[in-house]
Amino acid sequence: MDRQQEFVLRTIEERDIRFVRLWFTDVLGTLKSVAVAPAELEGAFAEGIGFDGSSIEGLSRVYEADMLLRPDPATFQILPWRGENPGTARMFCDLLMPDGSPSVADPRHVLQRALTKAAELGFTFYTHPEIEFFLLKEPYSPGGRAPVPVDEAGYFDHVPHGTGHDFRRAAITMLESMGISVEFSHHVGAPGQNEIDLRYADALSMADNIMTFRTVIKEVALEQGIYATFMPKPFSQYPGSGMHTHLSLFEGDTNAFHEAGAPYQLSTVGRQFIAGLLRHGAETAAVTNQWVNSYKRLWGGGEAPAHLTWGHNNRSALVRVPMYKPTKGQSSRIEVRSIDAACNPYLTFAVLLTAGLKGIEGEYELPLETEDDAWGLTDSERRAMGIQPLPSSLGRALEMMEKSDLVAETLGEHVFDFFLRNKRDEWEDYRRQVTQFELDRYLPRL
Amino acid sequence: MSRAGTVSGQFARLGFADPDRASRLLGDPALVGLVDPLEGTFHDGLPEALSRAADPDLALLGLVRVLETLKARRPSTPGHPGAPDVEERDLVASLSRRGPARDRLVAVLGGSTALVDHLACHPEHWRCVAEATAPTAEGLRAELVAAVRRGARGEHSAYDALRIAYRRELLSVTALDLTSPDPVAYLPVAAEQLAWLAEAALEAGLAIAREEFGSGHEDCRLAVIGMGKTGGGELNYVSDVDVIFVAEPAEGVSEERALHVGSALAVGLMKACSTSTAEGCLWPVDANLRPEGKNGPLVRTIASHRAYYERWAKTWEFQALLKAWVSAGDFDLGRAYKDAISPFVWDAAGRDHFVEDVQAMRRRVEQHVPAAEAKRQLKLGPGGLRDVEFAIQLLQLVHGRADPSLRSATTLEALAALAKGGYVGRDDAATLDEAYRLLRTLEHRIQLHRLRRTHLMPTSEPDLRRLGRSIGLRTAPANAVVELWQSRAREVRRIHERLFYRPLLNAAARLTSADTSLSAEQARARLQALGFRDAAGAMRHLQSLTTGVSRRAAIQRTLLPVMLGWFADEADPDAGLLAFRRVSEELGTIHWYLKMLRDEGSAAERLARVLGRSRYAADLLVRSPESVSILGDDRGLVPRTQEQLAVIMRSAAGRKSEPAAAVTAIRSIRRHELLRISFADLTGQLPLAGVGRALADLAGAVLHAALEVAVRRVEELEEVAAGALGTDLAVIGMGSLGGQEMGYASDADVLFVHRPRKGATGTTDEVAQRRALLVVQELRRLLGASGPDPQLGIDADLRPEGKGGPLVRSLVSYAAYYERWALTWEFQALLRARPVAGDPGLGADFVALIAPLRWPPGGLSSTQVRDIRLMKARVESERLPRGADRRSHLKLGLGGITDVEWTVQLVQLCHAHDVPGLRVTSTMAALRVAQDTGLIDGPSAHDLRAAWQLAISLRNASVLWRGRPVDCVPSDLRDADGVGRIIGRAPGDGPALEEDYLRVSRRSRAATDLHFYGA
Repeated sequence: MDRQQEFVLRTIEERDIRFVRLWFTDVLGTLKSVAVAPAELEGAFAEGIGFDGSSIEGLSRVYEADMLLRPDPATFQILPWRGENPGTARMFCDLLMPDGSPSVADPRHVLQRALTKAAELGFTFYTHPEIEFFLLKEPYSPGGRAPVPVDEAGYFDHVPHGTGHDFRRAAITMLESMGISVEFSHHVGAPGQNEIDLRYADALSMADNIMTFRTVIKEVALEQGIYATFMPKPFSQYPGSGMHTHLSLFEGDTNAFHEAGAPYQLSTVGRQFIAGLLRHGAETAAVTNQWVNSYKRLWGGGEAPAHLTWGHNNRSALVRVPMYKPTKGQSSRIEVRSIDAACNPYLTFAVLLTAGLKGIEGEYELPLETEDDAWGLTDSERRAMGIQPLPSSLGRALEMMEKSDLVAETLGEHVFDFFLRNKRDEWEDYRRQVTQFELDRYLPRL
Repeated sequence: MSRAGTVSGQFARLGFADPDRASRLLGDPALVGLVDPLEGTFHDGLPEALSRAADPDLALLGLVRVLETLKARRPSTPGHPGAPDVEERDLVASLSRRGPARDRLVAVLGGSTALVDHLACHPEHWRCVAEATAPTAEGLRAELVAAVRRGARGEHSAYDALRIAYRRELLSVTALDLTSPDPVAYLPVAAEQLAWLAEAALEAGLAIAREEFGSGHEDCRLAVIGMGKTGGGELNYVSDVDVIFVAEPAEGVSEERALHVGSALAVGLMKACSTSTAEGCLWPVDANLRPEGKNGPLVRTIASHRAYYERWAKTWEFQALLKAWVSAGDFDLGRAYKDAISPFVWDAAGRDHFVEDVQAMRRRVEQHVPAAEAKRQLKLGPGGLRDVEFAIQLLQLVHGRADPSLRSATTLEALAALAKGGYVGRDDAATLDEAYRLLRTLEHRIQLHRLRRTHLMPTSEPDLRRLGRSIGLRTAPANAVVELWQSRAREVRRIHERLFYRPLLNAAARLTSADTSLSAEQARARLQALGFRDAAGAMRHLQSLTTGVSRRAAIQRTLLPVMLGWFADEADPDAGLLAFRRVSEELGTIHWYLKMLRDEGSAAERLARVLGRSRYAADLLVRSPESVSILGDDRGLVPRTQEQLAVIMRSAAGRKSEPAAAVTAIRSIRRHELLRISFADLTGQLPLAGVGRALADLAGAVLHAALEVAVRRVEELEEVAAGALGTDLAVIGMGSLGGQEMGYASDADVLFVHRPRKGATGTTDEVAQRRALLVVQELRRLLGASGPDPQLGIDADLRPEGKGGPLVRSLVSYAAYYERWALTWEFQALLRARPVAGDPGLGADFVALIAPLRWPPGGLSSTQVRDIRLMKARVESERLPRGADRRSHLKLGLGGITDVEWTVQLVQLCHAHDVPGLRVTSTMAALRVAQDTGLIDGPSAHDLRAAWQLAISLRNASVLWRGRPVDCVPSDLRDADGVGRIIGRAPGDGPALEEDYLRVSRRSRAATDLHFYGA
């Protein structure tokens, strides 16, 4: 047993932990949890814990029914939920086949594979997400009353005695107590909308952190009698919730995106990485924006990007190169603005990384910077400037993804296939709906 | 002749490669006092001494350089050269006298340019050469540690002091090695001294690290465990030094603090040894054998090591630990570590996955080396040094569990112990021992020259000459050393036979004369480690094959040690051995069989590999063992053409009067031919297209011969004379038979057609139809009877009106039907129609009849195209069996065989009328033409072809592997491995097979969408 495992077992003893939740993520990015007693943990480290994978989304191949969960002791955390005393702890798990090889259906493994590929090229991948979400007065039940935000404030507004304020303080305390560093938090554009920025970390830890983050936010909201949602676009009149994510590649201790004296201090590697993100942006959209509702946010105007462009301080661009801080040579990074707060972070980071690496390997040429707000241009102007749009809907995004070798190879054929099938079903279900819009517009007239 | 000329001649005779330069150099002022230029005789003089060096020219040049440096150091005032100092005087004196001092100096100067360089910088070290004495481990350790002490190292940095001292001691070791009378016998001594020297350097490096760390370093007790050749006490001149660090807190210190200090010390030690300074570097210190490899912490406590080895370690790590040896640092701690770890090593053979791990490790060891180097490699590849070391370690792991006498860390000691304990034959051990020493000695001499890490035999004449002379070969040294090397390498290449298998055979055969004595238990353990899953069964087979005094048993006793190795390399060694036993029991007394195995070169290897790889071939062979003769015949693996087969079958059937007997004869020829095809396929001699054609030819020949038998039978029943049936029959091959793309499990899709003979007396059309039907029914009955061979299924469902239609029609009736009733899909099916048996004229007329149907003038109407697409879409949703995965189903799945064939057929239907090249029955041929004419774009054609070929190969390989067809890509790892090897994938690559198929078929589906569905 290694030191980390010993640490886990010792802590469990010392802190009187009665349950350990083994966490893993299904292909759609939903957190799954299996609780085990501490006594079973030693065995789980050594051999994994068997479970029936056939009922979990995306793990459903018959011969994979028997699967193993092997907890990663580096992710051990005591859950600070109120009222859980004696305590509960959690660890993220790798999904294994019965012979101990990694399961092809494990999103965590998908990301690990992409990171290994980056490592072979000498790169490590860091991410820094800014996660937006809405706080609602009460949970929503299908067909129930329209959702109501907890406040009526705007961007950076300080709301005296605001629910959001208390909420953020409680949430950040809890996040910090779980070892997730918070960089920044504030109220954003829409009523009830908040943003919390996580301090940058390597992509795998960050993906684990995002899964934890969403759970924590929802738990804290529940404790305060409100409801938190990461739905991309709950209100048509307000901006949606994105997860703008800053990406950087390091070669050893050096920031591979940084080159002193280059335009925006952006190295060739950085330019090629962006070029890769842009060229493969349409085919990866179904992963970074995986819900029907995601495209309502992308095409809702405002700060959401709907076109495959990049720019320096252009908030309508898919990729933004933020202001470089002269004192921090290591801080060169790029910001991808399309991602949903409700994506599967493992798969999302994996496809973004692979698309960027493809740009580096293929030495892609970066197209010209777009300085204008893409929303303000006419169709002809956009055509003249060679600006391609992101897919207009989930259905369109799936068509693009279906043709993509890049996504298939990144996700692996199994996840790729399952994802497409599942999402096509979602798209079909959606298309069958008769919406409020149609009723309101057509019934009076037709 | 001038005097210089004479001298040159003498130098040439003495072995100098460049006599003129030698003569010039001997006149160099630096050598004044050593050589009398006027002295005519060289007897006993310096030149003759130099001539004994491996490279006399090098030795002479080195000598000049060393003496020049010493001269340059004389204290002098301008114009007045100073007097030689004591070093120089003594050196000159040593060189002027015969004796060991001079021999050593000359040997070192002539054996290593790198050491000449060192002596040229540090000429005072000549004494270490001249006065070399056998070092001791303790002595070396004390010398090096003392040399790096702050007080002792003078103006040198600690790093430089370590390097200078290390080379100084290396000079002594080299001097003794190069002057030993029998260098090959001396090898273990030299290798051990080199290991001691490395350990001493590690100790000194640790001292430097502790000094650099400063106060607080004593908080950590640190032991350096030597691994690999260092741990084994058998180091090379230049090699990475493998280590593991073990740390424990000193008293009253926290573990955390101790590990912190320990890491710093370990890093310091590694830097002290491997950093390049003005004095060079020693060697890289490699700590990657530690738990978790590169990613693990550099130092661990004993408990942490133990915990890792309890839970996570892989078999290869235990194998590596076999060499663990306390090399430096805290010896008490090191010993405690070894005591804690060694139980794991000796229990490794009992762990789960031991066998699989060993197989994978063996593959890595034998992995072929870059082709350019393969012929020159001393270390890698089959029969290389690493192979020997691995084989011995494997036997140590397997047998050392029960027998502590085998637990030596040193290769040659372990080999001797294995021989002593009766685990390998004494003669075999002695042969290997000698070969190993020689290869290592060559490696040492090659490395010594420039102190570079290399394991390649040199190629140039001067290098080979020096190498030969360095091990004492004086006559034509360049050729002699190559010959010697190759003769030893040949011995080593048979290492597995010698070490692993021969003792097993001795045990199985219970030979009393053998000098090995494996118990039944030991033999089973060894068989298991070599990959036999049912070791007890394998032992029984071996006993049955080798016991007794028969000629067969005697021959098999010599054959099996080699054959077992081939079985073990394949996916199913147990099945291979069992099948071999059964074949041998059938044929063992037949003279040609044993002769073939013994004398026919590759026959025995082919047999072993085929049997260990394919249940299908093994089953067939067990049923007709005499077919094994195919393997002994050079032309045996070339499939027969349909014409050749037709002749053989007709004559075989003609000898039988009974129809059933005639068909049995035909079928037994088919069995023989199936074996030929599968042997050729399994040994990689027949590409996929060749297999499909050969199987179709064979089916055609069987149909033709069986049709003749059936006609004869009906003539008898109808009581008409031979040839007076009144109607001619032909068999039209459809599907993969027509396309000559059959697989092992394919049915023969056929249409039967007949044509009443004009003017035949007493036969109306009705009679002719009745008789034709009788013939076809008889044909199906005869071929459908069960027998010892895989059945050839006859499927006539593609006939007009399908199952409801008459089994055979007249040509006129076909014409009428196709004109009036036929649907588009029937024309599509006719694309692959090809006469395969019966009356050739009728066949040709049938083909002429259908030409305008299958290659419609003007192509297809849009309605017809829609019909075909619709039909295909329905097939996709309806035909896929319940529960089958639509992605991985090889035939009906997305991008599978059906997708590709329909896509190609649609192109044929639409364009064959104006692209004659499309008028072919083979899918792959038509696809090629469609690509060449631009009807299918290049990338799509590539994707379609790749998917079709992979799917067909997988179907074929599945039949070969387990004897039965599969519908989907095998997901069971063993099946995937077995099938994967047959289609030429690397062993152990099973998990990637499905992923690869899914990728290829996904692309092919995209091409189908584009070119078939037009989307």
